[in-house]
Amino acid sequence: MKRLIAGCLAFGLCASAWAAEEAYTIRATELKAKPYSDALTVLTLPARSKVIVLQRRSSWNQVKSGETTGWVKMLGLQLARGATDRRADNGLRSLFNVARSGGSGATVTTGVRGLSEEQLKNALPDPGALQALERYAADRRAAQRFAAQGKLQAQRVDYLAGGKK
Amino acid sequence: MKAIILMVALGLSVPAQAFDFGNIDLGKAVKTMQKIKQANAEVSEPQEIELGSGIASSLLGAAPLLDHPELQRYVNRIGRWIALQSERPDLPWHFGVLDDADINAFAAPGGYVFITKGLLARMNSEAELAGVLAHEISHVLRKHHLQALKKGARRELMADLANKAIKSKGGDKRLSKLVSAGTELYARGLDKEDEFESDRMGVVLAARAGYDPYGLPAVLQTLQSINPADSNLALMFKTHPGFDKRLELLGPLMSPALDDWERQPDLNQRFATLIGSGK
Repeated sequence: MKRLIAGCLAFGLCASAWAAEEAYTIRATELKAKPYSDALTVLTLPARSKVIVLQRRSSWNQVKSGETTGWVKMLGLQLARGATDRRADNGLRSLFNVARSGGSGATVTTGVRGLSEEQLKNALPDPGALQALERYAADRRAAQRFAAQGKLQAQRVDYLAGGKK
Repeated sequence: MKAIILMVALGLSVPAQAFDFGNIDLGKAVKTMQKIKQANAEVSEPQEIELGSGIASSLLGAAPLLDHPELQRYVNRIGRWIALQSERPDLPWHFGVLDDADINAFAAPGGYVFITKGLLARMNSEAELAGVLAHEISHVLRKHHLQALKKGARRELMADLANKAIKSKGGDKRLSKLVSAGTELYARGLDKEDEFESDRMGVVLAARAGYDPYGLPAVLQTLQSINPADSNLALMFKTHPGFDKRLELLGPLMSPALDDWERQPDLNQRFATLIGSGK
């Protein structure tokens, strides 16, 4: 039983990063065995087919359609309404907890502050917060070191031309 | 007569007594030309940064910084690394996470970029965060907010700023007015075309920085799934073109053009550790 609970917990943690989310195909879409255009087509899903998204790998989503698992182009899908709400619950819970345990007491939201149209129009400058922001800035070397830690390599890529307006 | 105005415009000296001007007031013509020249003057980089810091200060007045130094530094490193791949690598770039559940991100002139906690909480990877930061960085690179101010009700003040009629230090009220106008832009939004341009540039900047370029479209797809009646999305809906349209425009531009960079990392683990959900 303990093992089962541990397994569920582990699964729960995985699911918080990559929760299975419901989506629909927005056009007829090929389900591929692997995330490559020239991979074997397992089946063709008609438009408006329901699938469960298991993970994303760049422009490909791994999905489950009925009992079949495969890969479809991400932009051939639309996530179902509310499919990502759980992510917000998970993410915000951790971020809210952080804010609460921060201990400065400075982050208590008053009715005056916020990002509504009215609040933006009446916003008063906060030079103290601007100074705090300054403390977090990264210089060139720190940014390069950070990129190297993540094995990020700078690439030469041209900007994309405008396309249709 | 046109020739004379042209000569004046070109700065050629025209002996006034040599011509019969009829009803044309040459002095007025010269003034008009000067005004046009002044209106087109560019705000200098130090002025841009000063205006931007004022706008950033006001935005922080509306929504405070999240009290999470580790996360703030993390976002700054990602942002700065992306900015280093751009045409303005040495602006004093600043990135901040706002402690607000609203789902949005903002840029201010001179290198200020903010993202809300509410948007961050919907993301799955560092590449997604990088895509959003790169979109905002692009607004700064293309000076979209400055352009909007130049076209808006405060265009004369923008000309005064560019022509150094506004003293930067010493609390000139006209600068405060420009800061207010700049902050109000967040409630009104930029031109749709500016948003599309930042989408196009953002995915490329993310690819240049070594990330999976599909982070930004993945975020747009996530936002598309949120109930439009969610009040946390109200401002985003009011100020940005629809997610459907943005994805529809981006998709065909990205493939095959960015196919070669598809396999770059998305660093979802590093992201999850920082956000806390991976612990």
